[in-house]
Amino acid sequence: MSAAKVILVCGSGGVGKTTLSAALALRLAEEGKRVLVLTIDPARRLADALGVGELDNEPRRVPTERGELRALMLDSKRTFDDLVVKNAPSPEVRDRILGNHYYRFVSERLPGVHEYMAMERLLSLLMAEDADVIVLDTPPTRHALDFLAAPDRMSGLMDEGVMRWLVLPATASGWRMLEMGSDVLAGVLKRLLGPTTIADIAEFFSGFQSLWGGFRERSLAVRKLLRAPGTHFLLVTAPAPGARAEAIAFLEVLQKDAMPFSGFLINRCAVPAPAVLPWPAAPDHRTAEEWAHVREEVTTALERRRALTGAQDRAIGDLLAHAPSGSPAWRIPDQPTDVHDLASLRRLGVALHDCGAVDAILGAG
Amino acid sequence: MLPLTSRRVVLVTGKGGVGKTTVAASLAMASARAGKRVLLCETQGATRIPALFGKPGKGYEASQVAANLSTLSITPQEAIQEYVMLQLHFQRLYRMVFQNRVMGPFVDAVPGLHDLVQLGKVWFAERETENGRPRWDQIVVDAPATGHGLTMLGAPRAMMDLTRAGPFFENAQRIAEMVEDPGRTGLVLVAIPEEMPLRETEQLFDRLGPMRNLVGGVVLNEVRPLPVSDPAAWPADHEALLVGAGSELRATVAIVDAELDAASRTAGARTRLDRLGVPRVDLPFLFRRDLGRTEIESFAEVFARAS
Repeated sequence: MSAAKVILVCGSGGVGKTTLSAALALRLAEEGKRVLVLTIDPARRLADALGVGELDNEPRRVPTERGELRALMLDSKRTFDDLVVKNAPSPEVRDRILGNHYYRFVSERLPGVHEYMAMERLLSLLMAEDADVIVLDTPPTRHALDFLAAPDRMSGLMDEGVMRWLVLPATASGWRMLEMGSDVLAGVLKRLLGPTTIADIAEFFSGFQSLWGGFRERSLAVRKLLRAPGTHFLLVTAPAPGARAEAIAFLEVLQKDAMPFSGFLINRCAVPAPAVLPWPAAPDHRTAEEWAHVREEVTTALERRRALTGAQDRAIGDLLAHAPSGSPAWRIPDQPTDVHDLASLRRLGVALHDCGAVDAILGAG
Repeated sequence: MLPLTSRRVVLVTGKGGVGKTTVAASLAMASARAGKRVLLCETQGATRIPALFGKPGKGYEASQVAANLSTLSITPQEAIQEYVMLQLHFQRLYRMVFQNRVMGPFVDAVPGLHDLVQLGKVWFAERETENGRPRWDQIVVDAPATGHGLTMLGAPRAMMDLTRAGPFFENAQRIAEMVEDPGRTGLVLVAIPEEMPLRETEQLFDRLGPMRNLVGGVVLNEVRPLPVSDPAAWPADHEALLVGAGSELRATVAIVDAELDAASRTAGARTRLDRLGVPRVDLPFLFRRDLGRTEIESFAEVFARAS
């Protein structure tokens, strides 16, 4: 297993996790590190931001001035397929699972499966790839909670007790046993979901039984990884009043499960307006009256900016008042243009460095 | 008004962070002020709306927050319980299956079930009656963000596909009929004048396919005002101000430049959204970032005026 530092960039939707992950990864690379960045965002935004087009579940080199940056986009379905292929005891079992109706739903749509596969992919990268740092972009908070819980939930779901119940019906004697103990239950499930669904599900679980050990082992490895000393959780949030509740909820989950929190990245902070406005004499192209009007409009723009930064300061103060004392909070200034190419990512990386976040992360553990 | 007045169900979606909740609350408020009895639903257990009106919420139970306007928060767990017990009439079954320690997590994990039952709650509310007439004239739903929102819209079909027969199949079919009928259900897409939210809106519209006819309007939120009334004259003023300027004046010029940039992005955003061929309503950026009843009412006013 590689000794790479793992940085998980978390936060609710729309706060800029994907962009910040990419900028952080680029900055770390250009500080001389070998960096791998994995996005699990289904909107495929990192690919756009890095300008590398379609990513395909395998790391691709991104051109950098120094260091080494490789990026990949999680393909959750393919990761699940790979896991089945790797763990199946025989080609027959493998094909039976991959061709199963219920498996297709599980691998594509089961809530939390995307998150679980992200952790699985992270683990396989750690095992197979040589890197100093792995940066992981994550889905929005509600899902991020899922993804933190995913390894535990999967190993719980795959618990043997559950297994016995699920696999038994696949055989005639299983149905009989189930019906003997609780005939209503089996009948009810058949009535509820239709007989074919139950058969599909039973077939899936019976095929899956032989993969259990491998899955369970990896779930436990992920669980351990999330609590390892080289793992850092960064929480991205907006400097707005509505952002606090979700950020604090997420932080509480981290702390409850003893996962290491590194600090808040307060993204897109507006630059404060100057306290005074020294106004020069009217230039040649303006009458005194016109110039006074321009001054009035500019004054209004500054007042609006002060209202905005005032609200921002209150929101950040409020967030920190609800967070454990001493929680680091780095303010990332709002970028003048949309960040969607390497040049603007690089500028954002400089901002991440200037606010102290990069050194704090590199310096720690 | 967006052409939504006749739709019983209005679903609001957009990229995370664009103001879906604000728009849903404002649309609901506009209808309530027009005399409709409105139910405003949050999904995924979110509970932000009662606080916007300065009221305590009652969770899954409807509670009135303004005249003609009630709100509730749909959690998948409560929706499953109600779905199985009231819609499928299987009280005993619920206790046997869903409260069963062993079967619970397994049935709970049935793909698409959470999305389906949340829509099921909306369907249920649409059919609720009080004194012989519908309890709600309109149900506004603060739906999940774009990608997930689309999955939710497709959940009834996905369940029909998975089950292929049985009570779940039949009920999913009835919900699909509601969701897919542009006479009953309208979709509102929310964006802000930034690249990614705009692109997600365009992609969602594209991926809706035949369900595009549900889209009753787009809302461009966080529209910033022009900092100067004559932007064409600004470059010359900008130059004049920078001659021998100190740090305060340079910072000031940068702020005006940034606001002008934001305004020009707004113009681009309008052009892109208008290409979708559905009515658009703009809502202003709130520099004070306060969002409460006053702001919701003023946004409702914007919706009421828009024609």
